[in-house]
Amino acid sequence: MIIMSGKSLKRCYSLPIGPQHPAFPEAENLEVKVDGETIVDVVVNVGYLHRGIEKAMEERNYIRSLYLSERICGICNFVHTTTYCSLVENLLDIEIPERAMYIRTIALELERLQSHMLWAGIAGYELGFDTLFHYIWRDREFILDAIELLGGKRVNYGLNTIGGVRRDMSEDVKNKIGKILKYIEKRFKYYIKVFTTDITILRRTEGIGILEKKDAIKYCIVGPTARASGVDYDIRRIDPYMAYNMVDFNIITDNGCDIQARVKVRLLEALESISIIKQCLKDIKKGDIRIKVPFIVPENEAISRSEAPRGEIVYYGRSNGTDKPERIKIRTPTYINLLSIKPMLVDENLADLPIIVMSIDPCFSCTDRITIIDVKSGKREILGEQEFRKRVDGKNDY
Amino acid sequence: MIIDAIKIFVYPGMIFIIIFSLFYFGFLRKITARMQNRIGPPLWQPIFDIIKLFSKENIIPENAKLGFTLWPVLSIASILTAGLMIPIGGDVVLNTSGGIILILYFFVISTISSFLAGLSSGNPFGIVGGLRKIVQLISYEFPFIVSLIVPALFFKTLSPFMINSYQIISGPLFLLYPLASSAFFISILAKCEIPPFHIPDAHQEIVSGYMVEYTGTRLAYLHLVHMVKFFVLISLGICLFFGGSLTFVDFILKSFILLVLITIVKVVVARLRVDQMLKFYWFFGFLALLDLLRVMM
Repeated sequence: MIIMSGKSLKRCYSLPIGPQHPAFPEAENLEVKVDGETIVDVVVNVGYLHRGIEKAMEERNYIRSLYLSERICGICNFVHTTTYCSLVENLLDIEIPERAMYIRTIALELERLQSHMLWAGIAGYELGFDTLFHYIWRDREFILDAIELLGGKRVNYGLNTIGGVRRDMSEDVKNKIGKILKYIEKRFKYYIKVFTTDITILRRTEGIGILEKKDAIKYCIVGPTARASGVDYDIRRIDPYMAYNMVDFNIITDNGCDIQARVKVRLLEALESISIIKQCLKDIKKGDIRIKVPFIVPENEAISRSEAPRGEIVYYGRSNGTDKPERIKIRTPTYINLLSIKPMLVDENLADLPIIVMSIDPCFSCTDRITIIDVKSGKREILGEQEFRKRVDGKNDY
Repeated sequence: MIIDAIKIFVYPGMIFIIIFSLFYFGFLRKITARMQNRIGPPLWQPIFDIIKLFSKENIIPENAKLGFTLWPVLSIASILTAGLMIPIGGDVVLNTSGGIILILYFFVISTISSFLAGLSSGNPFGIVGGLRKIVQLISYEFPFIVSLIVPALFFKTLSPFMINSYQIISGPLFLLYPLASSAFFISILAKCEIPPFHIPDAHQEIVSGYMVEYTGTRLAYLHLVHMVKFFVLISLGICLFFGGSLTFVDFILKSFILLVLITIVKVVVARLRVDQMLKFYWFFGFLALLDLLRVMM
């Protein structure tokens, strides 16, 4: 919405960022009020990607809902299916075999690696550093190769099923993944050096986009965004799932509270992921990879949560004795991390807006599938469209 | 008379400048791509781009102000005129005695026309992009002007043709006055919106900046301005600082070395913010002032 007319420019005007904007790969709308080049206020409008997935899950049986949960997000798809499977396994009160737990852990950490690499490349691109973007995404191809070896596809690998995993991991795959990890570890160490010592990157990331620790706790921020503000919150430590209580790893926190801290946390976390995968590859024992589960799930209520690359994912489920779930509610990390945009953006330069929003690693396809109260979101969407028309046509047709 | 016309329009005039600018820009993109571990577009890609733009529909938005067509045309006309005054391979089209000052004026006219093009588009993104261009102008004009005065004072002439000849005789100026030469080199980066100073074109932030409402022929002119400015600045640098060019082959070699140097800087840095860039440029401006004082002694 723009306050300025063609004739006069008021001192403080609103700049529409989105829904389609080259800065963000997914559609969302930020109403940013600026005074010159300083941001004064910001309102985040989501709802452009709402797909009604929770409702769709109520009409499909548990196996079909599994494939639906995989398609919620392209980057963190495996953690969605793992959390969903854990939810149903909790509803059924069963334990999956140990080998399945290890394979799931390896795939989860590989996904964390590729997600952090993707983010690091996009951060470089937002900073105007094209070369870094190309190098990092070239190296990310190697991780995607490893994922393909394990699961069969680079994205949406249908590896999970209720009761375990569907494909076993052969010795050949183990060796190949080990070799890829050795190369990736070297590259990550190099990128950590680049991000923490390059003078142009430091100029654009240090002291910018501050989210203080008390704000992070107040707004319930999760994931690396919170850990970069000194909040030690990681589901893998608090509520261990899969094989996480059988491996040794550190939780990376940083007290920087700025974008540089978030960069450091994510890249160092990636190094920890590599060490977790190596330990899993060593410790994994032979055994079954899945157990048979009944189609009908007795009446029960359960919750399951995981640490996605972006933060905490919570799945709540209720079953009613049929083969379709009664209700599944999903809370993804970006939905709650969006609250942190406002304290980070106020009093910052407009030029820093893309990199600040990118630093919370927003995944809007994950976000918008949360059911916002329909009346409210409907109203907001119509408003957005009206304002767009007004701006484009210069007249008000409505 | 006919020879003059050929000189103005063909060689070393406008057609030569335009074709060579397109090729040099193609080389810039190709070398950048190879350094980024990609293959990159073919060398004649900018030619295709410009031809394609000329064949697209010309749309004038309703909110466009007076001068929507004038400013891009003025921009390309002034930068080509500046190019005509610079000796290439010992041959110059417009040999004026007040050359340096005129070149400076034409560069500024070109930049201000781009800024006014952004303002006349009636789009807030265009206005913000235009404003950013003016802020850049304020920052890089200082080191640019100071570095231009140094060879003029040293050789006691304002004509680029004479400075070229003197440099061929006495050797390149950057050995004597490295600070002024590096100030000039760095102002090339800002004038051509090359990283780390590619701010008006920061499409991640303000969607194409001052070019946002332009299509078709007018956009072709704006893109051409970008490329011609690159080539003209390189040839100005060779003429004033980097040894002058006696023959055409000499010119090609020296300009290529400059091109590779600029590409290397372009590839290894991120984008600076506007205020950071200002501080950076004024720091270099004061360094160039030291050289200026040395010349005056």
